[in-house]
Parts: sequence; C-alpha cells; structure tokens
Amino acid sequence: QNLKCVTHNLRKMICTWDISSKGRHGQTDFCYTTNDLPPPVCFKTKEKRVEIPIPESSTTVTITTNSVSGTALATKEFEIHKKDISFVPLTPHILSLTPDFSTSTLNLKWSDNGSVFPYGLDAFWQIQILRKEAMEKVTQVTYYSKLTHEDIILSWNWTSDMPLECTSHYVKIRCYINVTQFVGSKDWSDWSPVEELPGKDTEPNGNGVFPQDTVVAVGSDVTICCVHKEGQQIQRMTYGPEIYPMVHLSSRSSAIRVLNASASDTSGTNVVCILSEDEMDGTVLFVGYAPDIPQNLSCETSNFLIIKCTWKPGRPSGLYGKRRTKYSLFERISGKNVSCEVNEMNRERVCGFPVLADQKTYDFILGVSNPIGQTESSLLVDLTQRVHPKTPEKLTVSGNSSTSVRLRWFINGSFAETRLLCQIEISNGHPERKLHNVSMPGGKFSTYTAQLNTLHPYTKYQFRVRCSAADHFWRWSGWSRTEEHTTLEA
Amino acid sequence: MAAADSPSAALRRHDLCSRGIRLAGKMRSDVVDLLDTYVERQGLDASASVAVVEGVPAAAVERWDEQTGTQRLLENLAAYRAFRALLAQMLEEQREQLGEADAALGRALAAVLLQVSAFAYHLEELLRLESRGPPSEEGAGPPPAPHLGLFERKLRGLGVLRELAQWAVRSARDLRQLAKPSPGSSSAPGPAESP
Repeated sequence: QNLKCVTHNLRKMICTWDISSKGRHGQTDFCYTTNDLPPPVCFKTKEKRVEIPIPESSTTVTITTNSVSGTALATKEFEIHKKDISFVPLTPHILSLTPDFSTSTLNLKWSDNGSVFPYGLDAFWQIQILRKEAMEKVTQVTYYSKLTHEDIILSWNWTSDMPLECTSHYVKIRCYINVTQFVGSKDWSDWSPVEELPGKDTEPNGNGVFPQDTVVAVGSDVTICCVHKEGQQIQRMTYGPEIYPMVHLSSRSSAIRVLNASASDTSGTNVVCILSEDEMDGTVLFVGYAPDIPQNLSCETSNFLIIKCTWKPGRPSGLYGKRRTKYSLFERISGKNVSCEVNEMNRERVCGFPVLADQKTYDFILGVSNPIGQTESSLLVDLTQRVHPKTPEKLTVSGNSSTSVRLRWFINGSFAETRLLCQIEISNGHPERKLHNVSMPGGKFSTYTAQLNTLHPYTKYQFRVRCSAADHFWRWSGWSRTEEHTTLEA
Repeated sequence: MAAADSPSAALRRHDLCSRGIRLAGKMRSDVVDLLDTYVERQGLDASASVAVVEGVPAAAVERWDEQTGTQRLLENLAAYRAFRALLAQMLEEQREQLGEADAALGRALAAVLLQVSAFAYHLEELLRLESRGPPSEEGAGPPPAPHLGLFERKLRGLGVLRELAQWAVRSARDLRQLAKPSPGSSSAPGPAESP
C-alpha cells in the first residue's frame, strides 16, 4: 500500500511502500515496465524501497510479498504516471560557515549540486538563521541561483544585528528547484543539518563586552552584549551615563540595544557591564560620521617644487587618533600616490604633492576615508595656471640719481619656465599710491631687478613689491616688506 | 642610614628631603587635578572600583615605621620608575587613540610624567648620598602593557593615577621621616611644611 515515488535528480526515482499484513515476511518481488512495454524488469528485495528509472510517460509496478519460506502472500499492481512522481531535491549541505567578527558577518558556502540537473534550471535556496539557546528564528532569506549542470559552490553573507560573539548563531538551508517541464509535484528539500557558529558564551574564557572598541555611524542601532561567567549575574549595563534594559541571550550573555546612537565624545562612549560591586567589564563605542566630500579642493604651487592642495573637510567626523579621517592624494597621470599628514583639529586641510619633471597637467583624486566610510574629490590642474609665488624677500632700493631708482628682490622658487608679472607699489606719504607693473622672465631661486624712472628729486619714497605669473594670472604673492628710499637732490 | 652623617651630608640630605617634600606635594595636587580631568574626559564613573593594576607598586605598606631610610628610598624609587614607564605608556596610548583631539589631557599627563621623572631623579640623588647609589634600571621596568580593550585601559589608567596620588602622600611622609636628623648629627632646620 501507499506506493510513493520520489525523484531527487529527475532521472531515477525512489519508490517506497507499506505492507499492511502483520507477521514476518520474506523477500519482495518487484517488477516494473519501462514505458509500459513488456517484458517487465523484475528483481527481489528485502527493502520496502527501490530505485528505478523515471518512465517517459508511465510504468506499471507489480509488488509481490512473499512469506519467509518464499510462498507469495499478496500481489498488488500500481500504475505510476509521471504526474504521480514528486520531485524533491537532495538535502543541501553547508560546506562552511565562517564568521567575520569585525563586521558581525557570517559567510555561508554550499554546493548547488548542479551537475545532477540539466543546465539552466532556477534554484531557490531558503536560508534560516537561528540564535540563542532556544534557537529562535532570527531571519529567513530566499536566495536565487541558476543551475549550470556543474557543481557550483554558492556563497552568501549575512550581517547580524548583534556581534557574533554574543551568543551562538545557527544556520540551516533547503532548496527548491523549479523544473517547469516536470509534471509531478515539486517540493522543498529537507532542511540541511544545522551548522553552528558558537558564541563566546560557550567558551570557558569567553567573558567580555562585545563589540570590542568598535566604530559605528551616528544614528545606528547597536546591540552590545556582556558575556560573563556561569552563575554570575549582571547588575546593570550602562551606555554612557544611562542604564539600559537588558535582553537575555543565554545563561552567560545579556545585551542592550542602543537606538539611533548619537556622536560620542573624543574618548568614545563607555559601555559598562557591572557584575558586582567591584567587578565590571566594558567596551568603548566610537560613534561618528563618515567623511564629507571635501569642499573647495584647490591646488597651486609657489615654487614649482611642491604642489600644495587645500580643501575644506566639511562636517567633522567626530573620530580621532587612529580612527581619524585619513586623506591621500592620487595623481592619475603619473600614478603617484601621497598620503597626507593632517592635523584633525585645524579647519583647513593641506597636502603637498611633488612637482613632477615634464608634467604640466595634474589629475588629482583626493581620497578620504575613516572607519565609517570613504569618499573622494577630484581636480584637474594645469600647473602653469596655478602659480602663487612666495612673498618677495630681501627687497633693496638703490639709486644715484634724482629721478630714478633700481629695485632688487629675491623670490624663493624655481620659475625658470614661467614669465613673472611683478607689481611695485610706490608711495611718498600722499594717500594716493602708484602701482607700476613690470614683467620679466622667471628664474631659478633668482634675484629680480626693476628700474623706476620719473620720480621726484629729493623725495622720500616707500616701495614694496609683489609678483604673480604673467601668462596665466592666478594669485598675487604677498607684499614684500616696505623699503624706504630718498631720491637725490636735482 | 648606617653611619652618623657629617654635618654637610646631613645638610645636603635635609635640603634634598625638603625639596622632595615640596615636589611630592605639588605632584599630588597635580595628580588629583589630572584624575578629575581623566575621569571626566574618559567618561568614567569617579567611584568606579579598579582592580589592582599589575606593575603598579602599592603605596600602602605594613609596618611603615619600621622601615629603614634606605628601604624607604628604594621602594619609592622603584615605584616612581614604574610610574614613569606607566605614564609614558598612557601618554603613548592617549596620542594613538585621540591624536590631537584632547591636547589638554595629553599636556596634563605629560606634566605629571615630567614631575614623576624629576622625583625619581631626586630619589636617586638621595640614594647617592647613601654612597650606595641607586639600583640600575635594567630589567626593572614594569611588564609590557598586556593587550587590553580600551575600557580596561581607561580603568587601568585610573588605577595608575589613583595609586600615584597615594604614593605622593606616602613619599612626603617618607621624606619627612628621612629628614629627621639621624643620631650624632647636628640638628638641622625642620622640614618644609608639606600639604
């Protein structure tokens, strides 16, 4: 009775049946026709289970139960059509379950057993995550894949809402294969054996508060647990100054849930697990922001040796020390990368990049990252159009005539391939100051001179000078110091 | 102190003791201030009880009055050498964890470290007067910092500073004891008043 045939691979089917009469039986004679064509294939079996090929359309099965001495007790014939056969994939097996404690992520790997099936079938995998001693279901996810007639190892990640150390996590998986042309009933496989990822609350020395010293984004919901010795009781758990209600995870682990975490102080927010008057454990949570996209990225050179890039950091991340936001300057054309030493306390950010021989254009990417996130800003610069000379130094004024003087000054920098425009401010006590522009070829760490004529005799003048690039004006240098000079008498 | 002091040695020791007492007093008040800052900046509970910190010599001593002068100096020196290393560790961790973000706490820590170093040197001076000289420092340093979580390090720092505050009190008492003229030497002015 109850002859049932199930296939796991669409080629063979396993038929099982019951024997109604009590008492001891001998072997069973099992015959089946292939595609309803005689002669039937017969064989004896002690089992109430046989594996035979799936018929093209239908097959006739005859089962004869014999007594121990071999005399036939009962014979029954069954007509099995394709639609009577049910398809249940083989139970999948988890190959590996690997934790990444730093991100509270589980990685699950299993084989799709695809070689058994024709190419291109749709497979659905139900993955269940369970947790705690009571193995409560945390989530169930359906993962889709396509079979390729090869055994492919599938991989799937799941990030827990609590540190994996807090308590044991369990995973099981089952699959459903959508064989559209199979007319029989189709069902989910059995669940795989449960794979366990033991929590610290199963380890003798697993005590601690988790996550340990981690960084999260402002606004996150964070679960923090305290794993303690067997028999110990947690008096209270505090997050910063506040006591939080606890969630029981296991006999050695309880957790608190912090919602919408706000930015922590510079030294982080302490999470303390008070076990008794003089025993406590704890961790520190750093709650900050991902880096902002750098604003007003600008690059220039003052000496054709170093390119100085500056930018505004945007919103402070609230993370410091080794968790601070780090900057690096990557130049796409040369492929050169420079990491920037930045003092997180001052508002303006500066980074130096070497001027490269024979390279005029620079395609910068300013990379910004901290433990919460990363971003970047880019800038394409023609360096000859971003010359911002240093303040002229050692200005001297000389002259042995009543109407003209010669000015000399030094500029620290290498402007050999740049034409300079310098502006000389002339004042002689009157409010109105004259500006005299003069351009000249740039030099390498050079001294520059200019002649001023049509001055008034026996007059005290104040001179100062500033320079910029002549061809592509970008910025004036600072003004030099003022030098005084009195022209000779006429 | 084995032999009776010559007048100049007694005077020199008395002077060192007096200055040491003042230094200990100043150190103690700075450490107490630092403790308040530390508790506040590290988000700790001022009443938190802290387990004994490994590598930190306990200030409490049994039969304090039976200690010889040399024993007092040697124990003090061992303590402040340990504190010097522990405070340097704390400063290093502070810079690693916070960078420039909490310069005030960093400066306060560095200032106390400076005083501890000065006090250790002071004790070495006193021991040199003993003509036995201070013990060498090889292998005397505290054990390397165990790998601790940040919260445990915060508590450890609290323990170090609390113990240092206790030591500053004990050191003043020890130095006052030392400053008392030993038999046969001329009497010297009383020690400077300590806190």
